Amino acid sequence: MNYSLNKTDFEKEKQKGVIQTARRRLVPLMAEEKHSVIIAIIAIIISSSVLLIVPIIIAHIIDVYIVGKNFQGVLSFSGLLFFICLVGLASNYTQIITMGGVGRRLLFNLRNKIFSKLQELPVSFFNQNKAGDLISRINNDTDKLNQFFSQALMQFISNIILIIGTGIFMLVIDFELGLVALVPAMIVLLVTQMLSPWVKRTSLKSLRTLGGMSSEIQESINNFKVIIAFNRLDYFRNKFNESNQKNYNASVKAGVAANIFNPIYTLASSLAQISVLAYGIFLISNGQFTVGLLIGFLLYVNNFYNPLRQLASVWSSLQLALAGLDRISEVLALESNIKTQPKEEETKETFSANKAILEFKNISYHYVEGTDVLRDANFILEKGKTYALVGPTGGGKTTTASLMARLYDPCDGTIYLEGKDIRFYTPAERAKKIGFILQEPFLFNGTIRENILYGNGDYNQYSDSELTKLLEKFHLTNLLSRFGEGLNTRIVSGGDGISLGQKQLIAFIRAVIRNPDILILDEATANIDTVTEELLQEIIDNLPSETTKVIIAHRLNTIENADSIFFVNAGEIVPAGSMQHAVDMLLHGKRQS
Amino acid sequence: MKENNKRNIDNLLSPSLFGLLGRYKTIIITLLILTITANALSISIPKIISSAIDSYTKGGFSVGLLITEFSVIAILIFVFTYLQNIVQVYASEIVARDMRNDIVAKISVQPYSYIETITPAKLLTNLTSDVDSVKIFVSMAVSSVISSVFLIVGVSVLLLLTDWKLGLAVLSVTPIIGLTFFLIFRKVRKLFSKAQEAIDWLNKVISESILGSTLIRLLHSEDHEQKKFLLASTEAKNISFEILRLFSTLMPVITFFTNIATLIIVLLGGRFVISGEMSLGNFTAFNSYLAILIFPIIILGFISNLVAQAQASYSRIFLVLNAPVELKTGGIKSDLSGDVEVKNITVTFGEKKALKDISFKVKAGSNTAIIGPTAAGKTQLLYLLTGLLTPTSGEILFDDKDINQYDKESLHSQVGFVFQDSVMFNLSLRENIAFSNIVKDQCIAKAIATAELNDFIDSLPEKLDTVVSERGTSLSGGQKQRIMLARALALNPKILLLDDFTARVDGNTERKILHNISKNYPGLTLISVTQKISSIEHYDQIIVLMEGELISKGTHAELLESSPEYVQICQSQRSTNQYESSDEK
Repeated sequence: MNYSLNKTDFEKEKQKGVIQTARRRLVPLMAEEKHSVIIAIIAIIISSSVLLIVPIIIAHIIDVYIVGKNFQGVLSFSGLLFFICLVGLASNYTQIITMGGVGRRLLFNLRNKIFSKLQELPVSFFNQNKAGDLISRINNDTDKLNQFFSQALMQFISNIILIIGTGIFMLVIDFELGLVALVPAMIVLLVTQMLSPWVKRTSLKSLRTLGGMSSEIQESINNFKVIIAFNRLDYFRNKFNESNQKNYNASVKAGVAANIFNPIYTLASSLAQISVLAYGIFLISNGQFTVGLLIGFLLYVNNFYNPLRQLASVWSSLQLALAGLDRISEVLALESNIKTQPKEEETKETFSANKAILEFKNISYHYVEGTDVLRDANFILEKGKTYALVGPTGGGKTTTASLMARLYDPCDGTIYLEGKDIRFYTPAERAKKIGFILQEPFLFNGTIRENILYGNGDYNQYSDSELTKLLEKFHLTNLLSRFGEGLNTRIVSGGDGISLGQKQLIAFIRAVIRNPDILILDEATANIDTVTEELLQEIIDNLPSETTKVIIAHRLNTIENADSIFFVNAGEIVPAGSMQHAVDMLLHGKRQS
Repeated sequence: MKENNKRNIDNLLSPSLFGLLGRYKTIIITLLILTITANALSISIPKIISSAIDSYTKGGFSVGLLITEFSVIAILIFVFTYLQNIVQVYASEIVARDMRNDIVAKISVQPYSYIETITPAKLLTNLTSDVDSVKIFVSMAVSSVISSVFLIVGVSVLLLLTDWKLGLAVLSVTPIIGLTFFLIFRKVRKLFSKAQEAIDWLNKVISESILGSTLIRLLHSEDHEQKKFLLASTEAKNISFEILRLFSTLMPVITFFTNIATLIIVLLGGRFVISGEMSLGNFTAFNSYLAILIFPIIILGFISNLVAQAQASYSRIFLVLNAPVELKTGGIKSDLSGDVEVKNITVTFGEKKALKDISFKVKAGSNTAIIGPTAAGKTQLLYLLTGLLTPTSGEILFDDKDINQYDKESLHSQVGFVFQDSVMFNLSLRENIAFSNIVKDQCIAKAIATAELNDFIDSLPEKLDTVVSERGTSLSGGQKQRIMLARALALNPKILLLDDFTARVDGNTERKILHNISKNYPGLTLISVTQKISSIEHYDQIIVLMEGELISKGTHAELLESSPEYVQICQSQRSTNQYESSDEK
């Protein structure tokens, strides 16, 4: 399955209208927030009404009481004005707090959704995408959504309601003049529709270059020692400058595009005012309108176009948010191809006649079509025995081990775990049965204790002394004593403060205390010295007698105690017979790479 | 109140942030001119309207003139606002681009230890989000501050000129608005930095879950990761709700006081008009002035926050840009013969001694092995020899001259280092090996042949132009290791440092490669950290390190006699030797 996120054809992306995209993407998200949204909309309607009524009252005060020199009337209507302001205060507050809450909860749910999806996706997804790009995609895009949901969304909705309200008001006061005022708005909406694909495209592009740049930075900074030792600082600088320049070009283009809206909306507002003024004066000269009403009408034109202009500035943040949402949806739309088969489908075919702990039956696997890593491989592992996989580098040993742990599914054939198709085991069951120490150990930032108990529900609540006892049971205390502060030694996973060998030791302890039925060691001790390795050998020997061990190693002494040796090369897995034969094959056999 | 606001802004803008803008005088001045022109033009619109109405009521009104006048100004406004926006975008992107380049240029003259102390993660933040907040400052704050101050001062003067009593009454509301802003933003700023911490936490969980994805799937700890994420995500949500609570009081209070100001105008102004102290025209003018006055105050409040964020970010960037350059580089560029001497080297990390008083000599063209248990300090020793690490005390000599006397570039191009961990760049294989354009094709070819990579590269459809994905996931451990070797050999080095090179390469390939090296690179000085005795038995010198101490040194035969630790290591590998020697018969 193709999990690469960058292969989606850029040009093919449908340039649907923003409104449709917004409706398609945002409305389903808001479904759960119906009540809050309704309350907020009511509050917005009230506060918008306050905004619309205040000028009318003031006009009334001026026309009737001030011109009529009645201060008593001014006083009583001011009281009314004060009361209306209080209503405005309350509704304004309600509007902001409910709508803000909606946005923040939406963001919270969306973030959790993305993370869950990331946890669902198989290893292939992470192999096919650059870590830096992935991290930037998720962090940056959720941040764009954050800005939109926590700030822009509220303005967006309240402005829309204000615009609609004012529009209706104008049409009610004078239908024809109202139409004259609204025509520029119609034109501007059309122009917006036409321009928004351009804005969206450029902003998407600038987001991509940003992702490219940050993965460039990450790759370089994390591998800085190589860059220094190989004198490639100039190279690093040039490469960075290049992607920086690329990002600059794309960002300027995106900025020029996104900033077109504000001037256009201002122009529309001016156009509406001049039209209303000219037509209004024409109406007045025909005796159909009054000067006072014209001044009031011009105020409403402002009340209509100001929120529209604000909408324009929010518009670009909506575009950014939608572009981010699109990229996130790409991830959300992916489905894992490593699914646990439902129990009901367990038929006879899913069982092997052989009840050995693990069986490969006619297994083929390839990463790229046409270059088989494994071709029709068959073998059986028995309980409690030790197996070694040997073979030249690139021969397929790690792939074989990864298939055993169902990191991938074979392209062809079936793997049986204790006689049952491995696909019928839940991930939890599988993780309990299979322990895998990776070639490149990964440690989390934290203490050793946290790292060796990572993902281990059984011992999580153990006190330090209980844990020490457990480590003693597995003869691991000796290994732990190599770390200055024992269980509480702090690990900074990125830095050079801890050596590869030490990382491997921690990964070893982590896997052993889980006490799996099958323990796979993929070059797990490659960077550990041979004296310590003997210690590890003892620990492995002391594992319960029913534990099956699968060892991948180049060092022959680590595999000499194996009950059986498999030679993995050129798509085949063949029993090597004796140790001596294995060595011969290694020394004289055909090499794949 | 103006004074208050201005002083506030002055405090926030430390000279350094202004100093930054000084570099871009031309573009910033252009931006200012455009901003003020656009604003002045905008303000003239109401005037045109009122004069049009006035002239209509007085007679002598010309529709044609009104329309031409109005259209010209409307189009000018359009042109100037768009120009202002474009210049804003350019200015901000140029500042951001230059700043990133400056940071990178600075980092690239810093020694490795600096990067490790600052941590790559922090540098990444400097280059991304810190630069972004300075960028936002340039794109939004600069023109907004100028136009807001311009409007506030202008309108205040106009109000006081029109009627100083009513003017004072109306302006009395503005300190309340200013104070509300000040109080709320002071609290919000603290919350913002807390919110940023929460976001950093979220990002850390995301990054770890991506980098450790294989392990997470193996241990089926997806749920555990989700719980971790939920914790961080909930924290971020809670902080954002706290911010919301503060903000939700802000805007309503401001709107309320603006309305109160309107009320003052109606009550007081109404009284003045009734008593004949004030004209109706001036009374209406007051209302429209008020609308113009409030908006810039709100803008300034928001901008002050952007400025504070940008200031904090800029001071972090400033720290990186102005960090002293510790890199010492000497002038010697001569060719090395290959003699190396390590003299009384001690390295301490904090209180822990990683290496204790190490001394040994390596003759040009000889082979030296460093052997010892995990965390003995073997890798650190190699780092010292490349200058990635500086000793706390002691000296490293190449051809009897201190390492610091050598030109760093010249030294690095003569010392090849094969790192223990596979570091692959998201580049083509050719670029990963040559790693720049200065390495000649024949050097690459020789290096590839020596590292036994020919068969592998030939099997790839795009040969040397195949792009290696980041973290090299499409390559096996041994292939990566051999590419790293080819990278070091492509330099045509005088000295080759191997860090546990044999760990991921099978014995057969290893032997071939070592044979190739001695054939293709005669006279090469080899210093190899290894675990495998069988491949170093014939070496000129073997150094046994343990917990940072040099336990013993000598040839294989000598050490078998003198070093019990060495004998113990040998014993742990005896069976391997047995097989490999039997094969050689």
